[in-house]
Amino acid sequence: MSEFFDLESQDGVRMTWNIFPGTKQEAVGCVIPTAAIYTPLKPIPNTPVLPYAPLRCRMCRSILNPFSIVDYIAKIWICPFCFQRNHFPPHYSSISEDNLPAELFPQYTTIEYESTPDTGPAVPPVFLFVVDTCMIEEEIGFLKSALAQAVELLPEKSLVGLITFGTYVQVHELGFGQVPKSYVFKGSKEVTKEQILEQMCFFMRKPKPSVGVIAGSRDGLSAESIARFLLPASECEFVLNSLLEELQKDPWPVPADQRASRCTSTALSIAASLLGVCVPGSGARIMAFVGGPSTEGPGSIVSKNLSEPIRSHKDLDKGSAPLYNKAVKFYEGLSKQLVHQGHVLDLFACALDQVGVAELKVAVERSGGIVVLAESFGHSVFKDSLRHIFQSSDYDLGLSFNGIFEVSCSKDVKIQGIIGPCASLDKKGPLCSETVVGQGNTSAWKMCGLDKKTSLCLVFDIARKDGPEAIAQPTSNQFYFQFLTYYQHNDGHMRLRATSLSRRWVAGPGSIQDLIAGFDQEAAAAVMARIVSFKMEMEADFDPIRWLDRSLIRLCSKFGDYQKESPSSFSLSPRLSIFPQFMFHLRRSQFVQVFNNSPDETAYYRMILNRENVANSVVMIQPSLISYSFHSVPEPALLDVTAIAADRILLLDSYFTVVVFHGASIAQWRNAGYQNQAEHQTFAQLLQAPRDDADAIIKERFPVPRLVICDQYGSQARFLLAKLNPSVTYNSDNPPPPGGDVIFTDDVSFQVFLDHLQRLAVQ
Amino acid sequence: MASSQPFPSAPPRPQPGFSPSPNPNPSSTADALQTLQIGRAPPPSAAPRAASIPFSSPASRFGLSRPGPPPFASRPPTTSAPITSNGPPAFGLGASRFPPPPPVAQRPPLAGSPASIRASPQAQVSRPFTGSSPSVPPPSSQPFMGSPPSSQPFMGSPPSSQPFMGSPPSSQPYMNPPPSSQAFMGPPSSRPFAGPPSSQPFAGPPSSKPFGAPPSSQPFGGPPSSQPFGGRPSSQPFMSPTMPFPGTPASSLPFGTPSWQFQTQQGAPPMPGTMQAPPRMFGMPPNMSGQPMAPFPPVTGHSPLAGHQVSTQSKIDPNQIPRPVPSTSPTLFETRQGNQANIPPPATSDFIVKDNGNCSPRLMRCTMNQIPCTGDLLSTSSMPLALMVQPFVLPHPSEEPIQVVDFGESGPLRCSRCKGYMNPFMRFVDQGRQFICNLCGFMNETPRDYYCNLGPDGRRRDVDERPELCRGTVEFVATKEYMVRDPMPAVFFFIIDVSMNAIQTGATAAACTAINQALADLPEGPRTMVGIATFNSSIHFYNLKRASQQPLMLIVPDIQDVYTPLHTDLIVQLTECRQNLEQLLDSIPNMFENNRVAESAFGAALKAAFLAMKPTGGKLLVFQSVLPSVGIGSLYSREAEGRTNVSSGDKEAHKLLQPADKTLKTMAIEFAEYQVCVDIFLTTQMFVDIASLSVIPRTTGGQVYYYYPFSVISDPAKLYNDLRWNISRPQGFEAVMRVRCSQGLQVQGYSGNFCKRIPTDIDLPAIDCDKTIMVTFKHDDKFQEGSECAFQCALLYTTEYGQRRIRIINLSLPCTSMLSNLFRSADLDTQFTCFLKQAANGIPASPLSEVREQITNLCINILHSYRKFCATASSSGQLILPEALKLLPLYTLALVKSIGLRNDGRLDDRSYWVSRSASLSIPMAFPLVYPRMISIHDLASKEDDGSLLSATIPLSSEHINDDGIYLLENGEDGLIYVGNMVNPDTLQQLFGVSSVDGIPTQLVLQQFDNDLSKKLNDVVNETRRQRCSYLRLRLCRKGDPSGLFFLSYLVEDKIPGGLSYVEFLVHVHRQIQTKMA
Repeated sequence: MSEFFDLESQDGVRMTWNIFPGTKQEAVGCVIPTAAIYTPLKPIPNTPVLPYAPLRCRMCRSILNPFSIVDYIAKIWICPFCFQRNHFPPHYSSISEDNLPAELFPQYTTIEYESTPDTGPAVPPVFLFVVDTCMIEEEIGFLKSALAQAVELLPEKSLVGLITFGTYVQVHELGFGQVPKSYVFKGSKEVTKEQILEQMCFFMRKPKPSVGVIAGSRDGLSAESIARFLLPASECEFVLNSLLEELQKDPWPVPADQRASRCTSTALSIAASLLGVCVPGSGARIMAFVGGPSTEGPGSIVSKNLSEPIRSHKDLDKGSAPLYNKAVKFYEGLSKQLVHQGHVLDLFACALDQVGVAELKVAVERSGGIVVLAESFGHSVFKDSLRHIFQSSDYDLGLSFNGIFEVSCSKDVKIQGIIGPCASLDKKGPLCSETVVGQGNTSAWKMCGLDKKTSLCLVFDIARKDGPEAIAQPTSNQFYFQFLTYYQHNDGHMRLRATSLSRRWVAGPGSIQDLIAGFDQEAAAAVMARIVSFKMEMEADFDPIRWLDRSLIRLCSKFGDYQKESPSSFSLSPRLSIFPQFMFHLRRSQFVQVFNNSPDETAYYRMILNRENVANSVVMIQPSLISYSFHSVPEPALLDVTAIAADRILLLDSYFTVVVFHGASIAQWRNAGYQNQAEHQTFAQLLQAPRDDADAIIKERFPVPRLVICDQYGSQARFLLAKLNPSVTYNSDNPPPPGGDVIFTDDVSFQVFLDHLQRLAVQ
Repeated sequence: MASSQPFPSAPPRPQPGFSPSPNPNPSSTADALQTLQIGRAPPPSAAPRAASIPFSSPASRFGLSRPGPPPFASRPPTTSAPITSNGPPAFGLGASRFPPPPPVAQRPPLAGSPASIRASPQAQVSRPFTGSSPSVPPPSSQPFMGSPPSSQPFMGSPPSSQPFMGSPPSSQPYMNPPPSSQAFMGPPSSRPFAGPPSSQPFAGPPSSKPFGAPPSSQPFGGPPSSQPFGGRPSSQPFMSPTMPFPGTPASSLPFGTPSWQFQTQQGAPPMPGTMQAPPRMFGMPPNMSGQPMAPFPPVTGHSPLAGHQVSTQSKIDPNQIPRPVPSTSPTLFETRQGNQANIPPPATSDFIVKDNGNCSPRLMRCTMNQIPCTGDLLSTSSMPLALMVQPFVLPHPSEEPIQVVDFGESGPLRCSRCKGYMNPFMRFVDQGRQFICNLCGFMNETPRDYYCNLGPDGRRRDVDERPELCRGTVEFVATKEYMVRDPMPAVFFFIIDVSMNAIQTGATAAACTAINQALADLPEGPRTMVGIATFNSSIHFYNLKRASQQPLMLIVPDIQDVYTPLHTDLIVQLTECRQNLEQLLDSIPNMFENNRVAESAFGAALKAAFLAMKPTGGKLLVFQSVLPSVGIGSLYSREAEGRTNVSSGDKEAHKLLQPADKTLKTMAIEFAEYQVCVDIFLTTQMFVDIASLSVIPRTTGGQVYYYYPFSVISDPAKLYNDLRWNISRPQGFEAVMRVRCSQGLQVQGYSGNFCKRIPTDIDLPAIDCDKTIMVTFKHDDKFQEGSECAFQCALLYTTEYGQRRIRIINLSLPCTSMLSNLFRSADLDTQFTCFLKQAANGIPASPLSEVREQITNLCINILHSYRKFCATASSSGQLILPEALKLLPLYTLALVKSIGLRNDGRLDDRSYWVSRSASLSIPMAFPLVYPRMISIHDLASKEDDGSLLSATIPLSSEHINDDGIYLLENGEDGLIYVGNMVNPDTLQQLFGVSSVDGIPTQLVLQQFDNDLSKKLNDVVNETRRQRCSYLRLRLCRKGDPSGLFFLSYLVEDKIPGGLSYVEFLVHVHRQIQTKMA
């Protein structure tokens, strides 16, 4: 497996099949789709940043790369994708075998180009805060202090704006010196961009052009009219702080039997239009802080009447969530607008109840926004995540803007689509498969917001129909991909990252071993998780368990080693051996077992899944468990209830939650205070070790996970128990060992699952 | 007042001839005095009217030095004069004295050839009243023309001179006829009229006394019978037919010259005091003294001006036609005497009311002081039957305040059938156990705790202790039953236009400054709430409730679908936000300094402010500078359209005076429903479509203030004063008013600034002391002769201090079946105001020519009715005017020529006139139509007795000299006209510059250290006080458009398309003749 990690660290790519099935038919037989999870901005040490523009193929616009064939004499290069011959331009005239430009170095399959000065000055990023005020005073207090801190951390040059909302939307004019000033919009009414232009006096000093697109300073708006709302952080810090300081609960009265009137959708729509008017096409984020469900305007998710509960998964399934579809439709429209303008929507949803993440998902995900879901604005999940966004440190997010992602492939490989935070740009071409998954039917995608970790899942389609003999030629069994990402780097300049890859086909009998050798089971698990989530959302009556089981069975049938009808003879190559376990946990995960969660939570988990890399995705699917005890150094433990012991500390990382679980004895000792006694220093160290490891996880992860510290038999222990394989349950034959634990569930254990799998696979 | 004193003694005198009327004409005396006494010390009564003076302080702020509150006395009731019979008398005098003289040939002329007649209209107007007793007759009446040369007494023209000669004997009548009439003059011989001015004070001849009627008494000689005036001598011919003047007077003063002043000298002893004012007005001939001249024959006895003939016009002496005569001395008026209603003094005169059963005429007065028994009688008279109700009118400081009666939990006692309130005219019977409602006649049981024995006179013994049983006006404390919610707080919400134009013209700054200063005058206390918003193409609210923080500005950009941006904190207790508010007002002009938004979302701003006020109601004060161009209720420049569309003709022209659409009306009705009253201050330099905008104030009980063309130099002072008065004057909120009347009449309609949602009541989100409501009646049954018809106005309202009250105003008038009584008791002031309002209502509805014709016809019909039924005996060649209505033609003419009825006016000016007329009170209606003009170049030479304002000049260019400076005021604007040959010293004294051209058109009056300037300031300040309005001064120079503007106010002049006064009289006369034929 380590070769996969090496590939990932070089190019940021993991593929399910690193050796491709050679024909369409074979690809279908492989069950797991050929797919890649690509992290476009993955920091890759030593990647050169070239201060010039790339050379492009005349024909297919792909970029000169190490796989190009170069004729140093004729100063010609041949594009590996379309085989077009291209002449080097004059400034490449000195090129020779000994004097290669960096993009031709074989080790630089991933390389960056930075725009030259003629592409314009650095554009500062824009942060538009959209703040809910329908909250109890305490929450407002938390939010205020978090925002105040964020304001301090804002990059100096970045522009800032502020919108608050509740019953009404208030757009604060930060640039008006004399008194605090804000525009107030009615929450129940949609406001178009034209109305914003008109009503907020953007044409104060000049006549409004009668036709044409109007927006931004390039298009005729005066800089000062824009500077009323978006100011450099350094200039408006005082105003912003005093506004935040005075932020108050929405003053409109709320009857006791009603929810507050909260017009989230209108506020977001106004924010989007404002950015569209002021800074179209340049990097900007709307950061929405929402403390409850939207009850007003087109995106409301529930009526104001408290007697009506907020929709559950059950309601969605039954179609009895009357507002859901309307809201989703609204946010789809909003996402289109955002994508068109190149702006990001970030969502910080902090409430005990749902706020409508499920509806907002489409807008956040398509625009590449960040999402954080927490119980309270005072919770560290929110506070630390927010800080994490702005803090520049080793773990900073490297927020980038306005990306466009393009793919080139060799003939016969097509793209079904991308599951991940991006939006189709509808650039149709021969590359597009007829089958569509996620954002498909295009070879270019918009990524309004992206960061170092944003990972896209590209699903390929093998279009080759030739017989296996064609593949025999070694010359033709290599093929290529090129991923191009243009984006506004967080220093404000435009960059282009190009990743060029080569893989080979295999086909025909005997190819199975090659395929197995190229199978990346972690990547496969991550891809399956994304696909199953996607299908659950998109396909009515989709049965995820059945689909996953069938896929696994077919995979095992094809690649397993067994004698027919003999379950006991079944074995799997190490390349596949863990995959069933992943599938077992995926079936039990929050992605598939949605009924334990609210639609908001499910949407949240999926959004995070869809933007994470393989390693983190795997943690989400199958959490990691580390055991700490006096008997040994910290070691990974089986994710099984049997891992629990009275004298152990367990550290569970399920990505969203990090649990430190003290065995019963450890808890007793700790409560007795042994760790404070000099002679029990080792105990103190034992206690501290999982905490340190948890902190390390928390530090690098975004969104910041929730840390749960609990003791065996404590109520919080459920966070651990829910994730463990229920090998010992209340009705197991063999009782747990002393200090062990049982799980009260009827779920099948992994062993039972595996038995069934073997039986079915060999049929 | 001083003046009155002298006479007092006199008054008592019985009139010689007459018996009946106890009352003398007080007023007339007063007038007389006045004239004479110029220069007297200030009248005693001068009690300062503190309260009532709105502007006093302000003025000072602006540097106008305003003297302390002027004494009362000073208030010249301008027009009041009419009442007194003066005019005539004057002549009379002459006549009387010289009665014999001319045999008056006059009549003949009239009769005979119309043409020949000189219409001598006599200014004299005969006072119908007086003579009026039906009996009087005709004959005498005709005077005007008829008056023979002789009549010219003044002129002293020798009889012979008259061309008239022809005049029939009849003319004599005057004198003769009613002996009684003489009353005044007393003995004819007496020189009562000494007319000439004054000089000789009445004193001289005892006779004069007659006039001197007791001050208090009603001018008219209340009682019908009395014609006190009879003074018929009077009948002076207005015009002395012949022009004779010339010759006449030895004195040489040609009449023509207006110089009436001269008279003084004459003082011809002969003319005793009787002369009334008239003389002065008419420019008595200076030397009239020539008593001798007196020859002129008396013209008719009562009324009648003249019967001049058509052709004669030329001969009519313009100096003798009836004109208003101001009076200055306050009189005491008892509303009832001997269980009879007294006829109230002229609305414009100064009087002190003693309420003993009927309400003060200031609060409510009727077009006629006797009610016709039948509808037929009323229609025969052609007079309107209407009440003018001004429920919060400022009382005279010497009057006793309205008493408040608290009936406790049970609330005020009311008739159980018609719900009329207990009043002095409810009759208790059956030992007091029952009472009969004077409105519906229902027999009610007296509640036990209200029971009281009757005295031998049939009245309850406790009548005098219970204000509701002895006063015409009382206030009841309202109980919960009268409230749908707690009484509302006093809410004042200001909205200010900050569009580019408003900022650049300084209107915004002026408004902010005005509000800032006016804050000090808002009622103190926790019930006073304020809010503020500004607007251009969006609406800006301010959250004032931010302790120690700057106000927060909240913009509502959606002007199609407005809303209020906050639930609370937009309207805050004044005490909590005063500092914030002041600071904000200071900074608003700067804040919008660079505003380039020219649009104005007036309607939307109004609506948004309304939404903020909806929970409480209150006053919404809007400062608007441009035509509302965007958002709800936006308007377009109809004026321009009207101009380009001239071809569409006059037929449609009046439509431009109608609201452009119904949006604002609908809004206004909603405002009224939630008790929001809107006042609009239009500080503009352009067309703003007042026709459309004014709908809002009209419907919500507010008013329009118009500053056109707005000038940052001269207008801020007026703006401030108007605002200050607006918020500090006595007013009530969330009011409902209903007028009830005795069975036999029913209310036909209400007219004024209010909202009417149900047929019987009118809703007044706010009502203040300046607003008048007209209520018209029609008969639905007959009255018995000798019975009384009662009117009761009930106004339920909330005071500024949050008390709920019911103000009850009662008026009970006798019924009559005699037409002559109707004419005798006609109330010119009320009738004219009624016509004014009718005209104002008609202007937007029908073409202008129709409106003018209607108005003229009203006048003609009334005079015709009188002529036909009450003066049958007189010659058809004479124009005979009922004494009480002798000024009707003049006012009708002035009305026809007023801004609202001129086609050459700007649309806005006309609409403003219309909207202003709608709520105008009687005392203010007169100056609006017939402004007051005085000369100021010679102020220094006049005595300073506070009566400077009473020396008015007729509105005729004949009285304007090139070396003079004149002040003309219509209650709102003051025009200072400067001739082109004025003495530079005078200019220097008044304006600090020595040439006419050096005076800025935007005049800000300064006070210089000289007598003349001081007096001018006194005059201006006194006017301001009287009008409760800050006179906006404008300079008019001869020969410049501003001069022409001034001249357009001279309603007696002939103008293109308009008759001169004399011509108008002739016209009226001719029409009557046609009808008679």
